[in-house]
Amino acid sequence: MFCYKCGCVLSEKDFCTGCGADVGLYKKIMYTANRFYNDGLDKAQVRDLSGSVASLRQCLKLNKNHIEARNLLGLVYFERGDVVAALSEWIMSKNIRSEKNIADDYIEMLQNNPARFDTYKQTIKKYNMALVYCQQDSLDLAVIQLKKVVSMNPKYVQARQLLALLYINTQEWERAKKELERALRIDMNNTITLRYLKEVDEMMPTDEEHIKKRREAVVYQSGNDTVIQPVGKKEAAGLQTIFNIIIGIVLGVGIAWFLVLPSQIQKVTSESNDKYREVSEQLDAKTVEVNELTTQISELTAEKTDLTNSLNAAQEANAAIEANTDLIEAALMYMNDTQDELVIADALELIDKTYMENEATESFRNLYDAIKTGIGPVVAKESYNVGYDAFRTEDYDTAVTNLSRAYEYNPKNGEALYNLGNAYNKKGETEKAAEIYEQVIELFPNTEKARKSETYIREIRGETE
Amino acid sequence: MIDFEEELKKFHPSLELEDVEDAIYNQDVTDLADVLVKFVKESKEEV
Repeated sequence: MFCYKCGCVLSEKDFCTGCGADVGLYKKIMYTANRFYNDGLDKAQVRDLSGSVASLRQCLKLNKNHIEARNLLGLVYFERGDVVAALSEWIMSKNIRSEKNIADDYIEMLQNNPARFDTYKQTIKKYNMALVYCQQDSLDLAVIQLKKVVSMNPKYVQARQLLALLYINTQEWERAKKELERALRIDMNNTITLRYLKEVDEMMPTDEEHIKKRREAVVYQSGNDTVIQPVGKKEAAGLQTIFNIIIGIVLGVGIAWFLVLPSQIQKVTSESNDKYREVSEQLDAKTVEVNELTTQISELTAEKTDLTNSLNAAQEANAAIEANTDLIEAALMYMNDTQDELVIADALELIDKTYMENEATESFRNLYDAIKTGIGPVVAKESYNVGYDAFRTEDYDTAVTNLSRAYEYNPKNGEALYNLGNAYNKKGETEKAAEIYEQVIELFPNTEKARKSETYIREIRGETE
Repeated sequence: MIDFEEELKKFHPSLELEDVEDAIYNQDVTDLADVLVKFVKESKEEV
């Protein structure tokens, strides 16, 4: 104990040995405060929390700096669920003595567990909400809130008392008693709890009344079970039971129809709308893609047409060059008098016939005709000889080539045409052979060749027919 | 017989955790020792 004036440690004397101040009364106050603290501690130890709170408050009224009393008061508040009051006592205690103070541990314990801290906050809010409901006469809602409060913070004595009061109001004595007994286990000498409990006990039926009712009840054995039928209550008829079941089913269907079904329909509609939106988006994307591809196809087609035209033009130009080159070569060989008419004829035959017919100039054609006329007799003769020899040696392909050329260069050579028909006939190309034979008949009538041709035609037709 | 309405008036809203600071500031912390010291001081001043 220290002097209030100079802070010296006080002795057993009634004055301060340091400054001489009269501390008799001061010491008495301090001793009384200590006595209240001891009393508060004793009561806390036997769970008389209300009594402990009263004593500790007295102690602090006498000596506000009594750290132990303040810490214990905070602990008692916390034990009966009053977290705010507990926290404020511990903070004040810490403020008075910042070091070696157990209040530090208590505050830390709360701060280091945010989930629990949040639960305490929620319980306080719900308790206050329940009080508001009570004032608004919404007692059912208040009961629901308070049930949540006591489940979250089972030590909240005040909430249990209020819940018990609500049960008392609705004459639910058993429930009220249960809550009050739980509150009493936390704070065993709380006057409010005790008063409510007394009221509940008075209002509840006594054991004798229970026994009397039990005696009056009809008791019978059903198999292994003992059935107690309350007095004055007849056994429900079978019809009544069926009726109740039907009502239950109707109610169930009604609830499903009016509550469950709309939500399900809404859910399904929402899902299908989402799906539809998704598919539409995909469709739009695909449509854009298709449009892009179509455009690309059109562009590529146009490009292809241009390229084809260019290619055709190039090919035509190339054909003209090739034709001119071939004609020049043939002309050179003819002018140099190489005496190799068959080679010149080969060169002339290389010239593209389509070019000759469509695009060749007049000069080109004239030169071509002049060369052809010049080498004609020799080519016709030599080709005929080669072709005929080949026919005799059964080389029909060579025969066909050379006999055709022989007839081309000398259209008066009926033998060449007739043997050409024979070569085709032997080769197996009978239709072609028949055409050639008809030409022989037409161009060289009344000749041996014409007659033979007729015979061959008949043979060919007879075969085909 | 308990009067529900009257009893209900005895229940007050609990301070919320955010209000701890206010609760501390608003608390009257004057103790009997303070009163005594003040009394002694005033007596000496009168003398």
